[in-house]
Order: sequence, then structure tokens, then C-alpha cells
Amino acid sequence: MKLKDRVAIVTGATSGLGEAAARLFAEEGAKVTVTGRDEARGRRVVDAIAAGGGTATFVRADVRIAADCERVVAETLRAFGGRIDVLFNNAGVFHPHNAVDCTEEEWDATIDSSLKGAWLMSKYALPTMIAQGRGVIIHQSSGWGIQGGDDAVAYCAAKGGLIVMAKAMAIDHGKHGIRVNCLCPGDVDTPMLAEDAKARRLSYADYMKGASNRPLGRVGTPEELARAALFLASDDSSFMTGAALVVDGGGIAG
Amino acid sequence: MSMKGLAGKRVVITGGASGIGAATVARFLEEKARVAVIDLDEAGGRALGEKHPDLAGVVRADVADPDAVDRAFRELDGLLGGVDVAINNAGISIRHDFMSITPAEWRKVMGVDLDGVFYVAQQAARRMLAGSGGVIINMGSTSGMNGYPMYADYDAAKAGVIELTRTMALELAPKIRVIAVCPGYVWTSMQEAEYTPEMKAAVDAKIPLRRHATTGEIAALFAFLASEEAPYITGHPVIIDGGEIAGGLASR
Repeated sequence: MKLKDRVAIVTGATSGLGEAAARLFAEEGAKVTVTGRDEARGRRVVDAIAAGGGTATFVRADVRIAADCERVVAETLRAFGGRIDVLFNNAGVFHPHNAVDCTEEEWDATIDSSLKGAWLMSKYALPTMIAQGRGVIIHQSSGWGIQGGDDAVAYCAAKGGLIVMAKAMAIDHGKHGIRVNCLCPGDVDTPMLAEDAKARRLSYADYMKGASNRPLGRVGTPEELARAALFLASDDSSFMTGAALVVDGGGIAG
Repeated sequence: MSMKGLAGKRVVITGGASGIGAATVARFLEEKARVAVIDLDEAGGRALGEKHPDLAGVVRADVADPDAVDRAFRELDGLLGGVDVAINNAGISIRHDFMSITPAEWRKVMGVDLDGVFYVAQQAARRMLAGSGGVIINMGSTSGMNGYPMYADYDAAKAGVIELTRTMALELAPKIRVIAVCPGYVWTSMQEAEYTPEMKAAVDAKIPLRRHATTGEIAALFAFLASEEAPYITGHPVIIDGGEIAGGLASR
């Protein structure tokens, strides 16, 4: 098992990629704190992990709120013996809009859930990791954090910000034995895609055809992204920090 | 820790007789893959074969010579019966300032570090396209992304490897995944011979993780990328540098 006896926090883990990562981390031996805003879905993820013989706890939290992030860290420390080995800042929302159409509320929701949330969670988890002399932080960025995308102005800003934030954090905390990397997916078959298709007034079939237009000819699966997150979380990547691992079927290679 | 789906895979590693290449040979053998090596170093190749009796074979060839690479792959056909994973690890560098690089030195570095990657990748891809696909991993470097004084030719070759990787990924998908691995400072016997302890400490101090990579850490990334843990990764450079190029000179 690649994360035996490690303690991991996965934000936005009540569905999609976060849920897949929480499940895989637990399968690989980690004790996992599942966070999100939807309590019913969060409980279902925790129950599924327990049913598979894993260990997990749910903490209802909105990563845009500092007090919630502080509470996630405190409850994780209390539940799992005072350690935090892995923080996966996965939570995020997507509103398809250009700079003219984007509302202030949408801008704030996008930037605050992805970028500010990742900073807040890191702020509260880092003191424990520094005291341990080890830890891994993974920010969920995107191929659209490296290249621009259409009608995604706030999303691209948030995801691009995460990549440079990871580099800055890598420089600051490498000496503490802490690694900070980004995962950059392309389109992944999660509820976020179905919501985006609806918001763009496209049939899901047409939407998926567009999303599959990449060298490998298909969208990614949550499990494939979870495997990449596991690699970054585990000792298999012990010399990687400040990096952005692109997992997108070659989508931004051309 | 082991990676899914590498057992039984036919793996060709260039420059496998020493350094990162030798660590990669050891890692893929641990993963129960069938491994063969292309290397110019005859004595090193022989020693590698003695160390690893389970190695499928060592073929002597200069990757900068397209005819030699062609002959090597025909020999590998007999040893492995095809290629599932090709790791373009062979490389050289010469420490010299830009103004003193001779055309012969430039050609030598380009020949091994860029031409060699192309020759080996094309031979491997031909076999993968005829078979059931595969994975090609090219050795890039942080040198292909940042400037490093005294290594202008090497830096240019590695930048070339990264772009070659992207275009190969576009053309060879979906049957073949093509990825570049970009290490920063790695501690090998070559470094051990060249560095004084003071030089090593000075380099380590500039790296956020405060140390060089081990060859095994680079081999672990090769294993991950070649395996079924990474079926959706293609067309990108993956940096493994302890945070070295997260900041530029100004942040050191």
C-alpha cells in the first residue's frame, strides 16, 4: 500500500475527482478526511470507504471560509492521531463566462473556492507538516491553468494562480521536507462536465464530442486522475516539488 | 512501490549501463518487465549483464549513428520480439562556454542528445504501431526549460527533445503515449567524481528540497509514466527537480 498509515485531507471530495481520490487514498492505506458542502453526499463517500475496509471521516466545510478550513485541520488532527501527511486541494467550481458576462459573485466564487481555499487549507495544515518535517500538498489546477480556454476567464485565472502558488510554496517549504505540486487535468468525466454542458446549452453528446477532441480521443476518468494524485501523494514522487503534472490525453500538447 | 501493468512488458533503455539508466534497468526488472539495454560502453554493458542475470540483453550501439540504431533494433527484435516501452535515456554533456564551443563538439552533443532520441524513438514507434502500441519516454532536462551557463548546446538539445516529444505525442496517439522527463540535479557516479563536498553543498543549498535526486527517484517516475497508473498522460514534460526551477536565479 502506497499510503499506509498516512493521514490525508481531500477537499471537495463528495463527488467526481475528489471522491475518486479519497477512495483510492483510503484503499492505499490512508486515513482520509473527506470535506465538502453537501453533507449527505459526503456521508455516502465515507460510508463507501468504510464498507471497503478503509478509514474516513466527513467534515462539512466550505473552503472559502477560513474558520471552516481551520476546523477541517483541527478535526483531522483529533480524529487521526495528530498527523497530516497529504492535503489535496481539489475543491473548485466552474462558471462558463467571458470577462464581460462574468458576474462579481461568479468571479468571487471561482477564485475563492479554488485559489483562496487552497491557500487557506495550506495555511492551517502547514504548521503540522512543518513540525513533522514532512508533508505533501497537491493543488487541483487544470490544463486551463497553463493555456487559455473559452468562456472560462475566472477559472483560468484561479487555475493559473494555483500553479505559481505551488511553485512559491515549494520554494518556501522544501527545506521543511514538504512537497507542493499541481495536478492539471483536461476534461474528466465528472458531474462538473454535465453541469458545464448545460450551462453552455449543449447536448451532453455534442459536449463530449468536443471534449474528446484531443490526441488520446477521449476524456479522462476520475480514477485516472486519482492515480496521478496518488503518485504525487506517495513517496514514488519524492523528488517532485513545484511541478505541474498534466494529465489530459495530450490536450494542450498542440 | 510497484506500478500496475509493467510485468512482462518489453522495455528498451538506452544508456542503461550507468547512472540513471542503470537505476532504471534495476527498477523495471523489479517490476518484472523484460529489459534490454542499448549502450555504447561495452565494459559497462558487460558489468550490467553480470549484475542482472535476468536482463534480456545488452546491445552495443552509438545512438547518434542511425545505421547502428537500426542494427540494434533488429537485434532487439530477436531478443524481445517487439517493444512496449522505450526509454531514451542516453545523453552526454560537455562543460564549455558558448564562445569556445567547436562545431565538432556541438555536433557531438546534438548527435547523442537530440538526433539519438529521434533515431531510437522512430525505430521503437515503428514496432509499437505495428503491434499493440506502447510508451516512449524521452530524457529532457530542466536544461531544456531554463538557461544554464556553460551548457548552451546541451540546453538547446534538451529543449529540442521537449518539442519533439509534444509533436510525436500528437502524431502517434492514441496507440503510443510520448512523454518527456525533465530532471534537475541528480546524484550519479559522474557527479561524485567531479564534485568537491563544498560544490555539492553549494548546489544543494539552492534547491528547495536541499539535495540532489537519487537515480532511483528518476527511475520511479519512468516506471509510473510507463505503467497503467498513467494511461491518460501524454505529450508533456514532467519536471522532477526538487523545486529547482520553481524559482529563477532571482529567487535563490
